[in-house]
Amino acid sequence: MSSYFTELFQYDFMRRAFLAVLIITPLLGILGTMIVHKKMAYFSDALGHSALTGIAIGVVCGISDTNLSMVLFAIVFAFLLNQINRKNLAATDTIISVFASCSTAIGLAILSRGGNFSKYSTILVGDILSITAREIGYLLAIFVVTIIFWCVAVNKLNAISIHASLAKSRNISVRLIEDIFAVIIALIVTLSIKWIGILLINALLILPAAASRNISDNMREYHLYAVIFSLFSGIVGLVVSYFTNVATGPMIVIIASVIYFATYFYGKRR
Amino acid sequence: MSRKKHKGLFVSILLATIFMVAFGGTFFLFSEQSKKQSAQNLTVVTSFYPMYIAAMNICDGVEGVTLENLSEPQTGCLHDYQLTPEDMKLLSTADVFIVNGGGIEEFLTDVAKAYPELVIVDASQDIEISEDNAHVWMSVESHIRQVQNIAAGLAAVDAQNAHGYTHNAEHYCSHLQELAEEEATLKQELSGQSVVLFQEAYAYLAEDLGLTVAYVLDLDEERQVSAGEVSAVMKAIRQQEVSVVFADDVYAKEMSAMVEDETDAVSVCIDTLVRGTYDKNSYLTQMQQNIDAIREAYGVN
Repeated sequence: MSSYFTELFQYDFMRRAFLAVLIITPLLGILGTMIVHKKMAYFSDALGHSALTGIAIGVVCGISDTNLSMVLFAIVFAFLLNQINRKNLAATDTIISVFASCSTAIGLAILSRGGNFSKYSTILVGDILSITAREIGYLLAIFVVTIIFWCVAVNKLNAISIHASLAKSRNISVRLIEDIFAVIIALIVTLSIKWIGILLINALLILPAAASRNISDNMREYHLYAVIFSLFSGIVGLVVSYFTNVATGPMIVIIASVIYFATYFYGKRR
Repeated sequence: MSRKKHKGLFVSILLATIFMVAFGGTFFLFSEQSKKQSAQNLTVVTSFYPMYIAAMNICDGVEGVTLENLSEPQTGCLHDYQLTPEDMKLLSTADVFIVNGGGIEEFLTDVAKAYPELVIVDASQDIEISEDNAHVWMSVESHIRQVQNIAAGLAAVDAQNAHGYTHNAEHYCSHLQELAEEEATLKQELSGQSVVLFQEAYAYLAEDLGLTVAYVLDLDEERQVSAGEVSAVMKAIRQQEVSVVFADDVYAKEMSAMVEDETDAVSVCIDTLVRGTYDKNSYLTQMQQNIDAIREAYGVN
């Protein structure tokens, strides 16, 4: 059994991937609680798709580190989506969907020029070998920022999600908090997309929180179970994917889905 | 309170079950795999099929050599191939990594960085590569030099068995030479003929046979062809009176059917030799089939 784990951790890429999982999955769990609560699943999905355009812009501008253009574009996109949300139009989900499709199409169009999209196809399903030490540094920074933000603003966010006008009357700066929240989602989504993949990043945000919601009675439990489920699926998914030679993102999501269905039936029975 | 306890119990049991099923399953798999591994003197890993077949011939009968190939992509050429964790594991145990070179193995820089001690043998060393097209093995003439390069690379690493490698390479090259001579004879018969290629890899073969290339449309699994390109192909075929199109039977199937419908040209299926059975002679037999098919398509006896 010990050789099982020595084999696992003798490679740099696995150590880096493991670190990344330890940092990113609790974050996805925490953020997911609020995304599910505020019914923003569409929002984070759109952000994930915007990564393609971000990379495309980076390629067109000749930036060597496309991470940068991807993150910048996602932040701009997040502000834009927030703005649309505030307009209180009847069908926000439709408009977000329009923007997401449009941005995906632009990204695909640019990247597929000359029939060369295959170069970027890994971004769709993720590639665990792509995590660099520098990216782990970024993730760690985001981790700290998010935890601080959460300690300060979780109750305010909750108040906003229950009733925005009421929150405003209580002197909560709704706009600012919502914008910071959106920027943090944008940062985390874009930085994890390279190894989880555009197609699945949203599942990782939503599934642990949704599973936790199935069985929790209060906010504290909701957060606790979301983090446990997220971390658990991350670690088990990574190890299983290593030994079965399957892409890591999908494996993590499969495990998170199993948890979701189990909690769903448990919650229903109660 | 009891409800809370009940819930905690449920979550613990759920996670423990998933944990046990997942780890039990992979642990079983893992122990099966490690049984297979045994100690060998020299582990040689090749990047893909043509390199594996060449190395197989060169290492034939040499003692203490384990030859492995990277897990192959199921579709397409190696350009868009990503290393899997399995590949990284394999490379970490390897002493020599044989690659085609010329930029086909896009992951090569990552590999070199991750395993600085791994000896990388570039089979296309000192072979002239036309721009952005490193399908060197498609030219028999150049493939002979690739085989020689690989043998020299292996001999340099494993001096003890140097004679075995060189001897094997000479033997294999003599068979390849027969193919090259057949190509040279065919070349004289085909002089002045032109061809349209649906794979850039065929350019090397066309050059060996002295064919004039009228148009190259590089089709692979990700390639979306626009209407403009299709009409350009048709135009090239009609204007330059091309009678034969080289195509593969996977990605260019519809395209070649259309060409046969719309023009007088016939399409001939050419194997790019990137997959097949792991048989020592597969390069020789597959290339022979290619040459026979071309001879028939041009009506040369």
